[in-house]
Amino acid sequence: MTDILSGFGQEIISGIALGSIYALIALGFTMIFKATEVVNFAQGDLMMVGAYVNFFFVSTFLSNSGEPSAWTFMVALLCSIIFSVLFGLFLDFIINRPLKDAPIFSVIMATLSLAIIMRALVAMIAGPISLMPISPFGDNSITIGIIVISVLDLSIIASAIILVIIFYFIFHYTKWGIAMQATSEDPVAAQLMGIPIKKIYALVWIFSALVATLSGVLLAPRIALLDTSMGFLGLKAFPAAVLGGFGSIPGAIVGGVILGVIETISLGTLSFHFEWIKEINDIIAWFVLIAVLMVKPNGLFGIEKVKKV
Amino acid sequence: MKDRYDHENIYWIPILIIFVFLLPLILKGISFSYKYYLFVLNLAGIYIILNVGLDLLSGFTGLVSLGHAAFLAVGAYTSAIMVDQLGVPFSLSLILSPVIVGLFGFIIGFPALRISGMYLGLTTMGFGFIVKRIIISFRDWTQGSAGLEVSSPVLFGYTIKSDLDNYYLIYTFVIVAIIIGRRIATSKIGRSFMAIRDSEQAAEASGINLSQYKMLAFFISGLFAGFAGVLFAHTSSFISTDHFDILLSIYFIIMVLVGGASSIYGAVLGSLFIVLLDNLFVPLIEDQIQLLFNTQAGDIQSLIFGLIMFLFIIFQPMGLYGMWLKMRIYWKLFPFNPRQRFT
Repeated sequence: MTDILSGFGQEIISGIALGSIYALIALGFTMIFKATEVVNFAQGDLMMVGAYVNFFFVSTFLSNSGEPSAWTFMVALLCSIIFSVLFGLFLDFIINRPLKDAPIFSVIMATLSLAIIMRALVAMIAGPISLMPISPFGDNSITIGIIVISVLDLSIIASAIILVIIFYFIFHYTKWGIAMQATSEDPVAAQLMGIPIKKIYALVWIFSALVATLSGVLLAPRIALLDTSMGFLGLKAFPAAVLGGFGSIPGAIVGGVILGVIETISLGTLSFHFEWIKEINDIIAWFVLIAVLMVKPNGLFGIEKVKKV
Repeated sequence: MKDRYDHENIYWIPILIIFVFLLPLILKGISFSYKYYLFVLNLAGIYIILNVGLDLLSGFTGLVSLGHAAFLAVGAYTSAIMVDQLGVPFSLSLILSPVIVGLFGFIIGFPALRISGMYLGLTTMGFGFIVKRIIISFRDWTQGSAGLEVSSPVLFGYTIKSDLDNYYLIYTFVIVAIIIGRRIATSKIGRSFMAIRDSEQAAEASGINLSQYKMLAFFISGLFAGFAGVLFAHTSSFISTDHFDILLSIYFIIMVLVGGASSIYGAVLGSLFIVLLDNLFVPLIEDQIQLLFNTQAGDIQSLIFGLIMFLFIIFQPMGLYGMWLKMRIYWKLFPFNPRQRFT
């Protein structure tokens, strides 16, 4: 009995860790969706690029200094953050500005093509061999009662919580955050109030590139082997966002965590007891998506939109 | 009331059909590797059939499908299982399998009644993943991810084996598909589709039964994809789930967009353009790129496709067919071309 309980507890903790990554990715494209109504299909690949860039910085610093220390990882993280800010700005320039007046569908397809391009470019530059990212926390674990938790999972959960709190404060208590909220509410009115919405849009893209990079940096050690298929993992954040209610930031977080827990439990305990779950546990997110859309299309926290002609 | 398509020039259509049927002979005359060209053209033909259906669904009705490879897979596997394991004759399977895929389209179309836009794209994408997994799971019938060998098609006692025979089989259906696609697009159904795309509320207010027409769009699209699937399975003689990837679904959308959405000829042009580019142009530069980067061929392919789609969306959103229309208008009005109209 305690075996089952402890296994279950571990799965829930590691599910929450995976879910916080989904939540961060979902947070990234929810911000873009709220501001510009564009669904950014490239979010998962942004995450992949972030993970690769961080890996590149870490391995360069390590080959220069030799001994891994906390500073190496901090400086590499800082470099990746600077890179992601520049990359977000670049994305705003090549996607958002030229397609300002284009139909939403075209913009979405542009992000999709960008996802393909990024994946191909990274695969070409980094080569076909999977990389092994180095975790700053090693593979230690701690035991609380009967549950064994890896430090990596704990650090992911903690970083995700800190990030969400920081973003919450930026959104609600800074001038730019409030301007962002106003823009997503009504761009025209925001512009009339003197908000520079071009800059706001650029800021939104920068923010989502930043979140994607951070989630990539957090996720990379967890999946052990880093290759370009990590971008597909980002697609699973869509079911998470839909589950929470598309376009709702608390929804993205809650949906992500729930989906992560569902996935790890079905991978662990459930697949030991039910043979058929083994067959579907890598696509369970999509079953969740379809079920949510059939039963409650607005998700848990979504607001029903009134259709207008 | 006569509709505007009655005034269209149609005299070139028989010429085009004759050209299509003479093309293999011309290729044989001018090139040694004509078998490879035929193989490429066959693939393009299958994608044309599918993309005409996809265009009716995504271009005309505005219901984005990011899971059309799943339709192709269902068609291919249905026909392969029916012909090889249940002993159904190919000619019957050619009719039955598309209908089954059409009914499958119904199932996917069902959520489309409640959701729209990008949600639908996501749902169809999810269906793509699910279908692929289900096909792998039914190992007794499909041999899982190992793939399935498929017999050559037999029509009226004649076994269609060579690339040349396949070419004629496929392109007969391509021409039929284009004609039927054009008829649907210009009929009441097609106009209703476009009305739904432009404004669901306005269409509903004008007496268009939304759910009925959306389901119909999925059914028709499934029929086309089913035909493409049957032809794909039996002419390529080997199918595996690796082929029906999410990337293939994205490539289908790229083909439709590059050709020009909501025009049947656009879907045809786009499929031809992308497939020819992929098989004739990419191998030329592949070696050069592989000298610079240590990479796989698939990456170069997706890089080029992605770049093409991106450039088309930004600079030529109406696609290849739109380019052709602009050129035609330009020459018609030749000395008096207000430049602004063409930018």
